[in-house]
Amino acid sequence: MLYISLTIYIQMSKEYLGEFEELVLTMVGILQNDAYGNAIVTEIKERVGRTVNLSAVHVTLYRLEDKGYVKSHMGGATNARGGRRKRIFTVTNAGLAMLRAMKEARMDLWKLIPQLKFG
Amino acid sequence: MNNVKIPAWPFHLLAWFCPPALYEGIEGDLIQQFECDVEEAGEKIARRRLFLNTLRFFRPEIIFRNKFSTQLIDTVMFTNYLIIAYRNVLKNKTFSAINIIGLSIGLASCLLIFQFVSFELSYDKFNDKFERTYRITNDRFQNGKLIQHGTIMYPTIGGTMHKDYEEIEEHTRLMPGGEMNVKINDKLFRGDVCHFVDEHFLSVFSFPLLAGQRATALKDRYSVVLTEKVAKKYFEVNDGDYASLIGKTIYWGLDPQPYTVTGICGDVPANSHIQFNVLVSYATLIRPDNTGADDSWQWSDMRHYLVLKPGVDYKKLESKFPAFSERYFKGDKVSGSVEKFYLQPLREAHLYSDYEYDIAKKASGKAVWAMLVVAIFILFIAWVNYINLTTSRALERAKEVGLRKVMGALKSQLIKQFIFESMLLSVIAFLIALLLAQLLQTSFNQLVGTELSLWKVIGEADAFTIAVLCTVLIAGILLSGFYPAFVLSSYQPVTVLKGRFIRSSSGNLMRKALVVFQFTASVALITSTLIVSKQIKFMNETDLGIDLGQILVVRNPERTPYDSTFISRVESFKDRLTQLDGVTSAATSGPLPGRRLGRTFDIRLKDGAGTEHYTMSQFQCDYDFFDTYKIPLLAGRKFLASDHNVNWDKINTVVVNRNATALLGFERPQDIVGRQMTFWGRDWNVVGVVGDFHQESLRSPMEPLFFIPAYGRNATSIRLSTNDYQQLIPAIESAFKEFFPDNIFEYFFIEDRYKQQYSDEDRFAKVVNIFTVLAIIVSCLGLIGLSSYAAVQRTKEIGIRKVLGASVANILSMLSLDFVKLVAVAIVLSIPIAYYFMQNWLATYAYKIALSWTVFILPIVLILSITIVTVSSQIIKVALSNPSRSLRHE
Repeated sequence: MLYISLTIYIQMSKEYLGEFEELVLTMVGILQNDAYGNAIVTEIKERVGRTVNLSAVHVTLYRLEDKGYVKSHMGGATNARGGRRKRIFTVTNAGLAMLRAMKEARMDLWKLIPQLKFG
Repeated sequence: MNNVKIPAWPFHLLAWFCPPALYEGIEGDLIQQFECDVEEAGEKIARRRLFLNTLRFFRPEIIFRNKFSTQLIDTVMFTNYLIIAYRNVLKNKTFSAINIIGLSIGLASCLLIFQFVSFELSYDKFNDKFERTYRITNDRFQNGKLIQHGTIMYPTIGGTMHKDYEEIEEHTRLMPGGEMNVKINDKLFRGDVCHFVDEHFLSVFSFPLLAGQRATALKDRYSVVLTEKVAKKYFEVNDGDYASLIGKTIYWGLDPQPYTVTGICGDVPANSHIQFNVLVSYATLIRPDNTGADDSWQWSDMRHYLVLKPGVDYKKLESKFPAFSERYFKGDKVSGSVEKFYLQPLREAHLYSDYEYDIAKKASGKAVWAMLVVAIFILFIAWVNYINLTTSRALERAKEVGLRKVMGALKSQLIKQFIFESMLLSVIAFLIALLLAQLLQTSFNQLVGTELSLWKVIGEADAFTIAVLCTVLIAGILLSGFYPAFVLSSYQPVTVLKGRFIRSSSGNLMRKALVVFQFTASVALITSTLIVSKQIKFMNETDLGIDLGQILVVRNPERTPYDSTFISRVESFKDRLTQLDGVTSAATSGPLPGRRLGRTFDIRLKDGAGTEHYTMSQFQCDYDFFDTYKIPLLAGRKFLASDHNVNWDKINTVVVNRNATALLGFERPQDIVGRQMTFWGRDWNVVGVVGDFHQESLRSPMEPLFFIPAYGRNATSIRLSTNDYQQLIPAIESAFKEFFPDNIFEYFFIEDRYKQQYSDEDRFAKVVNIFTVLAIIVSCLGLIGLSSYAAVQRTKEIGIRKVLGASVANILSMLSLDFVKLVAVAIVLSIPIAYYFMQNWLATYAYKIALSWTVFILPIVLILSITIVTVSSQIIKVALSNPSRSLRHE
């Protein structure tokens, strides 16, 4: 019992990536070496036009870190931000593979939709 | 922008709930956001947004991050670990079973003992004033010698102390009233134990009151408070409507005065040192014509309890008591002995009392702590075994470890894996242990004679105890997992996978030390078992100086008044009994063998040289007593029927025992015959001397005794010459009913009653037996692990030896010798330990066996043969195997 349920739990949490998680992960990929909380919020607003909350981004980043798709380190100190260092996130190989897999899966699905013609 | 001040307090809030590791990153982002907001929307809005943004971080993902670390279990490999652990358990079913069962037994016995210990330590704690309540105890000295070490004293002590010392907040006094004999309408009830207590009793002690007034229930004369159980029995209430019982009356014994029920209290908790069924108001004892129970400085049956004011050091108060004694007792002028008073904290009443005439339900504190030590011992041995067995099987895992390392596993991951595995096994063992403990609960409860339950104990335990228990458990599981994990994970893949794998000898040394430790415990326990059972046998078989076999005792006819016809009525009853077939003789006596006797303190020899007072125990019996119990006469004569008199004041003969003769300074028994003793305010003629006998168990020495020819509330002892009780007992009952109508007929055999004194010893013996068996089993498990390991490791060596001509016997003796050496060391270590503890235990007996070297021989032989059998059974497989098989791969 214990064994089975634990196994299922682990497999589920390992494979699944939510929509927002995917969005944040993509942004980390786009921002390269300058992916941190504020930058991602700004980037999402500029590129997708969606206002997201800072804390939500943070939590998502940590979750992605737990799953092994991103890793983080503290950047150097700057004069802005009251001298506080940034926590810089970078995509791991696993994260990149995940993004790619999701993109391909979506593309495969997209191809199956009958091509609509516009007038 | 830079001149805008950032409010500090949102960051204090953030620092409070945010894990430090995340703090800087979040804080920086918040500041940056704030700075943007100031430019975009102004300072006021920016501040509000900062506050809201900060507040939004107050969410479980942030707060609890890193609080529960998932790092101990590598989540990716977790599934794999589970599968491997599962396969490993199944692969070696016997080994896994031994391992898990060994651990379960250890844990289960620990759980049971823990219940017992915590119950014993919980005594009297239900009392609200537990920490401040003390018993007064009293030592009496005569001629510089301690003659009584007791909890009984004069009725005035508590009250006078309360008056004299302001440190005392409250006091109460108590006198045991023995078993009640109650008549309600036409129904008779017997056997409910009562105490006379004053109105402060229910305030000092927190016995729950179901009906009645706590402060006043025991104030007036002839008031009784019944326990719930007794109330149900007397009045057949089932609906719990106890209030309706208040004001009902009962009659006690021959007292024409009715006793009024003024309260009902809940049944006395099993963990109270005072046990009772009924409480009677102390005022009942104080008769208008004789107020001795209130103000006497000689009456000596009262127990006193004090409640001290908060913060009072009882030792300081105690140091004032010598002055108190001098003030009121003036040396031995008042009571005939020099009085010393002490305070005993209530928390010690159950476990640390060695007092005479004690009403406390007692147990040995030493034994309780010893049990706890033993429990920890067993658990330790079980864990050690677990380590031992696991590491000895490590060879089978070595290849797995090598392969994992080659595939990139880190040492830390392997450690995690093995710790996880042992945690899994520990948890399974723990569940089995819980099950075992539940199954054994009933038998265990019978053994210790208390109603225990694990859930109750846990429910009542304080947070500290639970924390300690959990820490011990978790630490044990982690530590027992850590060593095997460390050993296993340190293998070098190259050596392991090449198949040339030799283990370090340091691990061996540790394992050997563990085996020595286990066997030391086993041998010591076996020796103790033997000595305990020898002492019990000795106590049961010693010639007591009195013959208790085949004596049936009929309890006294309490409801027959003592009047001028009483003696002739008793004599007729005895005559009728002796006429019955199978009855040899019958005698009546106040006390019975096996009971502590009352003492008389101011005995002098009339016309004696000195003025010294002596103390002896007293015994009231009739003239048939010595014959019935076959107590030998040494000089003079026994009592005659003519020594008896209905009028107490006309009795003036006394018989003494050999010890009393010696106490009074006579060398030969015949010298005291014809002399006179003075006590109880008059002179007594010594008519005879009888031999000493064991009135109490062999724990107590035989005391000086004097016998008085008296009838009264006497039980009748009947010596039988037949084993056919079926017919005899109804005949005795009808005789009893004929002469003593309106009484309850109750009987028992004196020998059984006498042997009840040894119930503690019997219990102790059983407990030691069980532990011994457990220790042997667990030690053997350890030995199996070690010897099979040794045999497997030395397979090739054995093969070569066989090729070169060694016989199976040679190999067996060679391999067993290693273990026999270990056990020999254990034996050498255990003998002084066992000797020391058993000498201490035996010291509590006045009469005991001598510890000769022979008692140590049997355990040694036993443990050596167990060792050889266990080891051989493991080695023989290898010793018998064909050398070509073990050597062909080389």
